Amino acid sequence: MKKNLKIALIVISIMVLGGAVVGFYLYNLKPKDLGKVKPDFVLTSSDLLKSFEENEAAAGARYINKIIEVSGEISSVERGENNSMNIALKTNSSSSSIICTFPSLADAGKYKEGSQITIRGECSGYLMDILLNNCVAVEGTK
Amino acid sequence: MKRLSLIFLFLGLIFTANAQKFMTKNGYIGFFSHTPAEDIKGDNNQVASVIDASNGEIVFQVLVKSFHFAKTLMEEHFNENYMESDKFPKASFKGKITNLASIDLTKNGGYEVIVEGDLIIRDVTKKMSVKGMLEVVTGGLNANAKFIITPEDFNIKIPSVVRENIAKTIEVTIAMKYAPI
Repeated sequence: MKKNLKIALIVISIMVLGGAVVGFYLYNLKPKDLGKVKPDFVLTSSDLLKSFEENEAAAGARYINKIIEVSGEISSVERGENNSMNIALKTNSSSSSIICTFPSLADAGKYKEGSQITIRGECSGYLMDILLNNCVAVEGTK
Repeated sequence: MKRLSLIFLFLGLIFTANAQKFMTKNGYIGFFSHTPAEDIKGDNNQVASVIDASNGEIVFQVLVKSFHFAKTLMEEHFNENYMESDKFPKASFKGKITNLASIDLTKNGGYEVIVEGDLIIRDVTKKMSVKGMLEVVTGGLNANAKFIITPEDFNIKIPSVVRENIAKTIEVTIAMKYAPI
């Protein structure tokens, strides 16, 4: 009996400790670095907008919260609060673009209006534009 | 249908004849919750907003999922438990600058403004009156404001286990740089 109790106590303390470690790990989990994550979808800025324009609900179910790699021409580069940077990509539509928010201003100077770029980001949905967050520029694009 | 009405709301503001309008799609709204247990900060750099300087109308639109946090778990709880962003993807404010007469758009400088209108979060509409600063700058307008909202006002229920981690009132910061359209 005593031996069983001892074993039970050890098992329980390991579980509690394990739970605490996992809990602490989850609590402190930072957003993923999308530079190291494979995209769920790869497409052009115009195709991404088109799928939302054609059927917003279906496109939302397909793309929102997914990692999207989108390529297109830069229409604007804006510096934001908290060192963020927004790069907008042109589409076929004159009123809507793909707005990509980068969490840091790193190399903001090297992105120029009119140049081509491929950006990986997490899709938040469709407001007036398609919004991507937590973005990184995919290397090898200019 | 909802997004059509949203577009018309904006287009309505954009295309009214002979009006002086300012717009941004890169505005900032952040919120901050402070408790002794932890500080929680959410940032959204994708705020769309239009000011009609002829009548003082002002509109803000955001996607709830565009708020980002230092920790993944905060963002998950924000979206899934509190804001239910799959069910209520957008939040908005539509109002009016009430002291428009005291602003001279031809002269660079800062003006204190009072904005009154409807804040809509989770489909709950709350009347707000907010004091802010409007700055006339070369090539546009800057707007800044700070105000307090209460999660309970928008039917956000905070479970007792995390009650100590989330402040009763949340400070909202707005920073916008508008360009003429």
